[in-house]
Amino acid sequence: MKSTSLAILGAGPAGLAAASEAARYGIGVTIIDDNALPGGQYFRQMPRTFRHTTATSSDKDRKRAAALFEVLQQPGVEFLSETVVWDIPDEHRLAYSGPHGAGLLQAEMVLVSAGAYDRPVPFPGWTLPGVVTCGGLQNLLKGQRMIPGRRAVVAGNGPLLLVATATLLRGGAIVPEVVEAAPVLRRLPSQLWRLAAAPKIMRQAIEYGALMVRHGTRFTTGETVIEALGEDAVQEVVLAPIDERGQVNRARRRTVPVDTLVVGFGLRPSIELFQLLGCALRFDRMSGGWLPVRNVDLETSRPNVFAAGDGAGIGGVERALAEGRLVGMLAARRLGRAGGDGGTERKLRASLTRMDRFRTGLERLYRPPCSYLDLVTPKTTICRCEEVSFDDIETWRSRGLATGTALKAATRIGMGRCQGRNCLATLAELLAREGSVPVESVPMPRVRPPLRPVLIGDLLQEDSPPPHLPDDPHLPRGEPVS
Amino acid sequence: MATDWDTMPTNTEIAIIGGGVAGLCAAWFLARAEHQVTIVERAEPWGEASGANAGTLSLQVKIRPVLALAHRALLLWEEFEATMGTSVGFARPGGLRVATSDALADALRRSADRQREEGCDTQWLDRDAAHELAPWLGPSVQAATLCHDDGFSSPLLAGPALIDAVRRAGAKLVSNAAVDAVERQADGFRLVTTDGAIACKILVIAAGPGTTRIGQMLGVNLPLYADVDMLSVTEPAPPLLDRVVTHIGGVLSLKQHPNGTILIGGGWQGRGGYRSGRKDIDHDRFVQNLRVATETVPELRRLRIVRAWAGFEAVAPDALPYLGRLPGDKNAYVAAGARGGYHLAPVQGLLLSELIRDGAASLPISAFDPGRYTAIVQHARTT
Repeated sequence: MKSTSLAILGAGPAGLAAASEAARYGIGVTIIDDNALPGGQYFRQMPRTFRHTTATSSDKDRKRAAALFEVLQQPGVEFLSETVVWDIPDEHRLAYSGPHGAGLLQAEMVLVSAGAYDRPVPFPGWTLPGVVTCGGLQNLLKGQRMIPGRRAVVAGNGPLLLVATATLLRGGAIVPEVVEAAPVLRRLPSQLWRLAAAPKIMRQAIEYGALMVRHGTRFTTGETVIEALGEDAVQEVVLAPIDERGQVNRARRRTVPVDTLVVGFGLRPSIELFQLLGCALRFDRMSGGWLPVRNVDLETSRPNVFAAGDGAGIGGVERALAEGRLVGMLAARRLGRAGGDGGTERKLRASLTRMDRFRTGLERLYRPPCSYLDLVTPKTTICRCEEVSFDDIETWRSRGLATGTALKAATRIGMGRCQGRNCLATLAELLAREGSVPVESVPMPRVRPPLRPVLIGDLLQEDSPPPHLPDDPHLPRGEPVS
Repeated sequence: MATDWDTMPTNTEIAIIGGGVAGLCAAWFLARAEHQVTIVERAEPWGEASGANAGTLSLQVKIRPVLALAHRALLLWEEFEATMGTSVGFARPGGLRVATSDALADALRRSADRQREEGCDTQWLDRDAAHELAPWLGPSVQAATLCHDDGFSSPLLAGPALIDAVRRAGAKLVSNAAVDAVERQADGFRLVTTDGAIACKILVIAAGPGTTRIGQMLGVNLPLYADVDMLSVTEPAPPLLDRVVTHIGGVLSLKQHPNGTILIGGGWQGRGGYRSGRKDIDHDRFVQNLRVATETVPELRRLRIVRAWAGFEAVAPDALPYLGRLPGDKNAYVAAGARGGYHLAPVQGLLLSELIRDGAASLPISAFDPGRYTAIVQHARTT
């Protein structure tokens, strides 16, 4: 069996920062990522064969990325790209699979830095071609140097709308409108003192604002997308205001012609690895929903399993880098290496505290003004893999099925290739609404391997003893029930 | 959480403990015979093994004592498909049971001989014949038997269809009502549950692994083991398997659904157990399950597994069902404990309804006497 001191799951900012720090002390590190290239979402790179003449990300970011990627060249650091961890039989054995090999990896310590994904919010037309998420847009730009269309409305809730808008405008698209659901301009004065904790990010926001003014982009608040219309692709976006009581006022709907709709309703941490590891979770609506419980050393409830970056709570790239460094340092120390001087650690911890203040300000600024479930109509697709509509769910609910597990079995919701990432949270919210209970009290389907679809041929690369056939296959194989 | 299930009535003619496939099938035949039926379910109906099993309806994997039952059950599944109102996902593509060594081939031949003696049309296929009929079989397959009766139904479809049909037939279904005590009364029984009490004239125990505990409440020994059977399913694939595939070693079941997904089972044991309530994937045995699968059908190597799960299968020590009247109680019946209980559930329900209505079943069931372990215990005490 392959072995390593520190296994890092996810080669984004947090994972790479942790690897850099750990490698400085000579710790053996294995980094696993399902992308072809390191960088995660924020430092996503173009394929090596691409050439470009214009820069997109700032010079500073490119320099930072290059510095982070250096760790991959160091002795003792192994990078398994295009590789998924599909099972964790126990916290020291990781089952991985990919084109560069498959098998079990033995690890003394594990850092889960698997990042986050766009929160799926179903509304009529959300599955039309031309409707993309903020994260999808950034992927296209960073990974393929493309923008998805020429005339786009950006709508949703959260700071990523501004980033997406800047991307589109700099890429040459026309953005007539940016529609933010939360009344952020009204809330801004009361949160300024918190937001001031991150002056660089605030300066960036002001630059985005100036860019929008230069391009004549209108920024409205207190409105939401309620529908995307079009035959084969999106052609029109329907918008409606949200009133003081959090109700969507459909009577005052208006329509904007587009060829692209970029939606962003915030991010959700990828927590499947924590669930499989049996880490304790807590629910924090503002930081993205279910999160791993962590102690001051960013360690989960499982000893020597750490969590860092957006996958442990949405916090952005600067926070991910700081958390990653801290974990790298602490892991080195636990493995008996010096593990950093007290001064650096104090500085890192102080910066995390400062970022906490900023994060709180941002969360309060963007607190959703309504329930996005109100956007769902009977015909709205909830599960896009298996094409299950809200109507389909309601039909079975009216026949008496009341739990997520029962509805999953009856409708096939969550049984497709995305393994429920795009729909099961919505189902939980629907059940919470119907039962008038908080969403965190709705039981979640148990997470089981494979965490990602895994090629059967890959599994056979594992050393396993030859199958033992039972003497009499009809007789019981399990334990007595009492 | 709000449910639309029925509220607990104070009394009923027949109470069925267990809202899985066994209880629902019994309810179906009893309610259609105009009995007043209430199903008392501990949690959610169809919530355990009924929904988590492979759905295999294979005649040729059954042991001799249950062959007649298994045959009749296949006909009933076919009837369900036609009469339930919604599909139970029934299909009968025929099944191949394979042997992957010479020793296993001998065992397979003996098993097929016994089945033919019982009237099954199990056909022997030597190596060449098997590979000619099923070119997708791997080189390790030394022999196979073909049974045209073998098929499957879909546990995902059959559950909602049966629940719906049973309620339309007039049966009440009370969920989240765990039975804490069973009291004998002058004219029947009284069940004390976590959702109130209910009196009944006739009691049917169809509680899967919970059957042992209910038996203890009535002083009857109904020992059961709970297997933790693992299953996995691939992403949709082009047509590959046109038969249900099973293995003489009892370590494999394969079938391709109409949507192209291939279900892989074989009774490989997951982690956990009935007492802990946990049923998780055991990594090493999961990999071995897939090893057996790819040795039998090598093309599977090119597919991806998208989901895996495990479910409890409650099996009596002799793998035979407890089917019939409880010893000592005129009006208490049981249907539980069979290996392949999903397959047999319709016939067990039918035979119980005959017993309750007519006092006799249309197939012999003496081998399945629920008192068979109780008698042993009493005998042991007296000697």
